[in-house]
Amino acid sequence: MSSGTESTQGISVGERVRKVLRFLWLEYSALFALILLMVIASILNPRFLTFRNLSNITRQVSVIGIVAIGMTVVIISGGIDLSVGSVLALSAVAGMSALNATGSIVVSLLTTLAVAILLGLINGTLITRGKLAPFIATLGMMAAARSLATFFVRGGNVVGEIEAYTALSRGIFLGFRYPVYVFLMTAIVIGVLMNRTRFGRYVYATGSNEKATMLSAVNTSRVKLTVYGLCSGLVAVAAIMESATLNSISSANSGHMYELDAIAAVIIGGARLEGGRGYIAGTVIGVLLLGVLNNVLNLMDVSPFLQGFVKGLIIIVAVLVQRKSA
Amino acid sequence: MSGDKSYSLEMTGISKTFNATVRALVDVDFSVRTGEVHALLGENGAGKSTLMNILGGVVPRDSGTIRRYGNEVEIRSSQDARNLNVSFIHQELNLVPDLRVYENIFLGEEPRTPRGFLDKKRMIAETAELLDRLDIAVSPTAVVRELGATYKQVVEIAGAIRQDSDVIIMDEPTTSLTDHEIEHLFTIMRSLTGHGVSIIFISHKLKEVFTICDSYTILRDGKNAGSGAIADVREEDIVRMMVGRDLAGHEFYSARELGDPVLQVRDLSCSGCFQGVSFHVRRGEILGFTGLAGDGRSELFEAIFGARPFDSGTIEVQGKSVRIPHPTVAVAQGIGYAPRNRKENAIIHDLKIVDNVSLPSLRGFETFGLIDRTKEIANTKSYADRMRLRYSSLTDSILSLSGGNQQKVVVAKWLEAGSDIIVFDNPTQGIDVGAKSEIYELVMELAGQGRSIIVLSSEFTEVMRLCDRVYVMYHGTMVAELERDQATEENLMLYSTGVKSMYKEEATL
Repeated sequence: MSSGTESTQGISVGERVRKVLRFLWLEYSALFALILLMVIASILNPRFLTFRNLSNITRQVSVIGIVAIGMTVVIISGGIDLSVGSVLALSAVAGMSALNATGSIVVSLLTTLAVAILLGLINGTLITRGKLAPFIATLGMMAAARSLATFFVRGGNVVGEIEAYTALSRGIFLGFRYPVYVFLMTAIVIGVLMNRTRFGRYVYATGSNEKATMLSAVNTSRVKLTVYGLCSGLVAVAAIMESATLNSISSANSGHMYELDAIAAVIIGGARLEGGRGYIAGTVIGVLLLGVLNNVLNLMDVSPFLQGFVKGLIIIVAVLVQRKSA
Repeated sequence: MSGDKSYSLEMTGISKTFNATVRALVDVDFSVRTGEVHALLGENGAGKSTLMNILGGVVPRDSGTIRRYGNEVEIRSSQDARNLNVSFIHQELNLVPDLRVYENIFLGEEPRTPRGFLDKKRMIAETAELLDRLDIAVSPTAVVRELGATYKQVVEIAGAIRQDSDVIIMDEPTTSLTDHEIEHLFTIMRSLTGHGVSIIFISHKLKEVFTICDSYTILRDGKNAGSGAIADVREEDIVRMMVGRDLAGHEFYSARELGDPVLQVRDLSCSGCFQGVSFHVRRGEILGFTGLAGDGRSELFEAIFGARPFDSGTIEVQGKSVRIPHPTVAVAQGIGYAPRNRKENAIIHDLKIVDNVSLPSLRGFETFGLIDRTKEIANTKSYADRMRLRYSSLTDSILSLSGGNQQKVVVAKWLEAGSDIIVFDNPTQGIDVGAKSEIYELVMELAGQGRSIIVLSSEFTEVMRLCDRVYVMYHGTMVAELERDQATEENLMLYSTGVKSMYKEEATL
């Protein structure tokens, strides 16, 4: 306990391995669950461990994965964003409408981004200036944005008329579809942002103790505003992937219940719902865990009506297991 | 000691040791006559709360006897105390604000109708009768949240009376009351004593003690330091008994060359917190601010630091008038602030030691938008070495440190941020004796380097040990400015209890 050293010299290799394992066990217990699940799945069903199946899983989870990364940042900051699904629908409706109207993919992308970020900044302003609880502000936005999306297209779908747009999602590189790479890139960029930049540090600090952070000369209001803008910006990226995959967007159904799947992935990934703790890598594992679980249940012909039950069980067990480290 | 019916309560030879080493009470005697208001006095840590917690059944005693009306009784739990008609009115009131007056008074003991529903009629009628008897103009059905501060206090007292309590302990009951409300409370207290109720009155405000109390008991360092009738003593005598012999406390202080004023505050006011406060601090000076709880000094410095809005007044830093709407501006002006309640306000639990240090100055560690971790750790390490911080790794959680070492981290944070005016609010709160002196040495060293240090503390010995000059506040106003040689414990006590003021003929009660 005396004068500290930052080197790990003098510690045996065995001890270092044990330390790393202990860290993984405490912070990434979802990783062990994922590995366990994959082992069980490959024993139960030989089709599971095929490249085709694994590539499919990653494609299926990439949209919700990008949303979940945004949600991770919000939850670490001590907030929550219930409006992600509705914001996805409204921004995609706007983006697809712009695509059909102008024929320009660039205009479409910018429209999707602009609409989503605007909605996120409205969330952030309500929370910082309006002093609303994040739950309330984003609950309101969830209802309002969904309503606007359905109103603009009378509850229907917007089908893309520019075929090239779908290449954003349908393109394949090294056996994986583009959305998988977008998900991966998002995870890396936001991971670096959260761990290596001033902004990331402020987000952790604000989520852990907002008052002390403010008294340490950090403009916590600005941090929170940015957090909600960033989350919605990532939702826009997810919206683009979603609409490009289907070449269509449903104003009533797209993004439905995404907030719950995203929050589930974040929590399974080890983040603390009250803020101050959480990892992007954990969320990625959480997303994969939920994706693999869905896949396994499908392969085993479990009734789709029961899948929600299993998902619910996993979420609760994950949180119970994580309490050991809290 | 033979029992005496004229004594409602006698505690004799009470001793209590915590953790086998801390002797909180040593052979203390404490007797309260039937129908009197008895002041229990002493400095913070003198043993008042321990004694009252023993009486309330919260803390078991090691030895000694307790008698009620001459009969020996046993108090092992708060339930025992309640059955013996002893009630404790705490400083932070135990009322449920969203319930009505009668619901609070009967909370947990609601009478029921034969059908098993709450007997509202009976509760309201009994409450009305009770309030009437105490001459309190409150409706039994009023919601507690909407009552004024005195009435809340009174509702709690009424609850105690309903349970037939005849010993009522009141811990600093007037802290949040206005003068008028205090008068009202005193009237009710007198009416209670007229009915044979004994009141134990704990207060630091000697003016109040002399207004309402019949007798007193003084504790110092866990021992009896005097008792008797209030009519036989003067305030100065009480203060002397509380303070005791001169405490050795100058070993940290060394005189320094003081420079020009670096922070000048004029006529700062914030309604409900502080009024018309002016002061200055010079380069290299250690300035003290003291007073009782609720004197407004913490709020004053929150306002100066930009963490609390204020109504009027000006702040000058290095001779230039500045507006400080947010702590970011205060830090840019070179002001650092180590708030009270370190665990809630100063340290960020989920961050590592190094992250806590670098938080206000992260901008300086950025290269191409990324934090230079190596530089961050190296800088923190240099502070850690200089302050003899005891840690195992700088990337450990801040919670791995002891209280004193956490406080050093807070200091390192402001040094890294380049603060040359550092405000410490209650710097040694929750810190053990050894670490305390390390913090004192650190403060002295910082001042020696030309920084200006402002120490906010309600421990007189703390400001006496450290400060070149001391301001005393009382009820949000400045009542004294004392140079080091005038800042005796007696003086500090007289000013902070509102007995004397340098600025007004008669201090308000």
